[in-house]
Amino acid sequence: MSEPLLSVRDLKVTFTRQGAEPFHAVDGVSFDVRPGQTVGLVGESGCGKSVTSLAIMGLLPRRGNSVSGQVMFEGTDLLGLSDKQMRERRGRDLGMIFQDPLSSLNPVVSIGVQVAEVVQRHRQVSKSVAMEEARAMLDKVGIPDPRRRLREYPHQLSGGMRQRALIAMALACRPRLLIADEPTTALDVTIQAQILALLKDLVSESDTALVMITHDLGVVAGMCDDVNVLYGGRLVERNMRHDLFAAPAHPYTNGLLGSIPRLDSARGEPLDPIPGSVSDNLPWAESCAFAPRCPSAAPDCLASSPELVPHGGGGTDGEGALRCFHPVVPAEVAR
Amino acid sequence: MSSDTLLSVTGLKVHFPIKRGVVFDKTIGHVYAVDGVDLEIRRGETYGLVGESGCGKSTLGRAILRLEEITDGSVVFDGEDLAPLRGEALRRRRQDLQMVFQDPLSSLDPRQSVQSLLVEGMKAHGLTADKEATRARLRELMAAVGLPEAALSKYPHEFSGGQRQRIGIARALSVNPSLIVADEPVSALDVSVQAQVINLLESLQESLGLTFLVIAHDLAVVRHISDRVGVMYLGGLVEEADADSLYATPLHPYTRALMSAVPIPDPVVEDTREQILLTGDLPSPAAPPSGCRFHTRCPWKQAERCDTERPELRVVEIDGVPASHRVACHYAEQIASGKLQPHQVEPELVVPLEAEVPVDLGP
Repeated sequence: MSEPLLSVRDLKVTFTRQGAEPFHAVDGVSFDVRPGQTVGLVGESGCGKSVTSLAIMGLLPRRGNSVSGQVMFEGTDLLGLSDKQMRERRGRDLGMIFQDPLSSLNPVVSIGVQVAEVVQRHRQVSKSVAMEEARAMLDKVGIPDPRRRLREYPHQLSGGMRQRALIAMALACRPRLLIADEPTTALDVTIQAQILALLKDLVSESDTALVMITHDLGVVAGMCDDVNVLYGGRLVERNMRHDLFAAPAHPYTNGLLGSIPRLDSARGEPLDPIPGSVSDNLPWAESCAFAPRCPSAAPDCLASSPELVPHGGGGTDGEGALRCFHPVVPAEVAR
Repeated sequence: MSSDTLLSVTGLKVHFPIKRGVVFDKTIGHVYAVDGVDLEIRRGETYGLVGESGCGKSTLGRAILRLEEITDGSVVFDGEDLAPLRGEALRRRRQDLQMVFQDPLSSLDPRQSVQSLLVEGMKAHGLTADKEATRARLRELMAAVGLPEAALSKYPHEFSGGQRQRIGIARALSVNPSLIVADEPVSALDVSVQAQVINLLESLQESLGLTFLVIAHDLAVVRHISDRVGVMYLGGLVEEADADSLYATPLHPYTRALMSAVPIPDPVVEDTREQILLTGDLPSPAAPPSGCRFHTRCPWKQAERCDTERPELRVVEIDGVPASHRVACHYAEQIASGKLQPHQVEPELVVPLEAEVPVDLGP
């Protein structure tokens, strides 16, 4: 197996505020991404998946938080780089696609200039060469009539086209790692299918590593090689996608699968939701945060904090991992 | 119209004028948000309306409640046409039709306690004459939506998203409506909470005999809760059928593409199934394509009829497809039998509506 391109080790992000308890948004997350691989970070709102991606990219605000751990990218710890060094990397080595394309694009700058800017920033080329690159990129991401689109502004594009433009920007310098934070959540399903197919093609043809952040298990099932499930800032389960969906071991993963209505399952049966909401968390430090919502919670779940232990077959390190005292037994697996 | 039909919509049109001009508001065109929709909802059933953003599904739902001005057509509710109703008569009628909105936080007044939110509607319809009965009713409502009684004195910001949606549902229930229009009731919620609200809606329907019109973009959700489903595209219904029949044999090319685009949380299925990828975007509803509105993106588009003649919803004779399954496609039979095969479609440029319409400076 090839060497990991990105290797996140024990990443912690703590938000501090005067007069308030420090909040551990990301609490010791580790995972690897290899070239050409797609790794998913899955979880509901507040599980720390977006903060993880911002920490990797060095995009968290300077004040009010502390980041610790390691983010190794080709042997360099990104967390140790200066702002200037990080700016050199962003866009060239690391690309990012955000959820809402309209608010991530500059409304008063034309699409062409925005895409060409990335090329000019990182490669010593003339403006016209950069523009030509931008046109080729727009063409590549499937925007019809790219020459005309170069001169247009974000508001003149539809939602799907904006997301394509954003992907073109992220890929303009052919980064080796692409982080996509909920890239299709704001889009309709037919457009989502177009964008996912595009991402899949781009990743496989350029050997780019992709970190896919999403709450949609359906998207994960179709895209990711490895899946990391997050809850309350910690990894609760990791496995290869086939193993994860066939035999979810953490009650939270199992609960998520049980609460989604599926197009291809029998109708008429009530769903099996997870009780409570994500705000009913316990602190990880002394207990399992999921215990209050967990169907198989036992006294030991409240008394001590479960560790992440190797489990099952696959996973980034060649092994899956699980953080649970009472894993789901096959008879309890949803569907 | 049979007696078990609660709501019957005929030829419904909602057009929004596009205005331009500094001194005079000149109408320079219309957005054809809903353009000729017929549908019937039976008593006690859940009718699901699906479609992508901009297809007019929310406008249709709002027009049924007369929250949008109806341009043409009729909305017959329980034997009475709502379209010509005005003022007090309309206000009284709304007791029977209630709405649950998408975003529970912005649809609840942040400065009103839950009790006052619930009582407001009841008071407007004269249901609060007896204080003791009102209090009992409030307790009943809270129990029905699964919230503790103590929640009555709290304010919306004190609740989580799922609990807020429960309050929204309780508010709709408070005046004893017979039809509830739920516009994207779960799309703002996390998946684990989504399932709770879906189960709640289903159990309420069973215990109270409610009729639901559920508007959503998530096909899996709609299929799960609906008895019948209508698929909308650019202001019109393109297919309507029982939920099982629609998902077993989707006939309209748009429905097929829509269903194949929904990701399924099962890698085995995801790896093997075939996707119909649509090219391009939804055309602008201000200038809808001629003929079949889907012809600009349809992989089965034929040289004849598709771009000239707008297809009506019709019953098709295909094995295994019941008569309640209707589709608006000229070539549904040939597509279903495999006689017509899909072909490549070149994406057309679509300019979003907001780019076409300049900001109205107004006088």
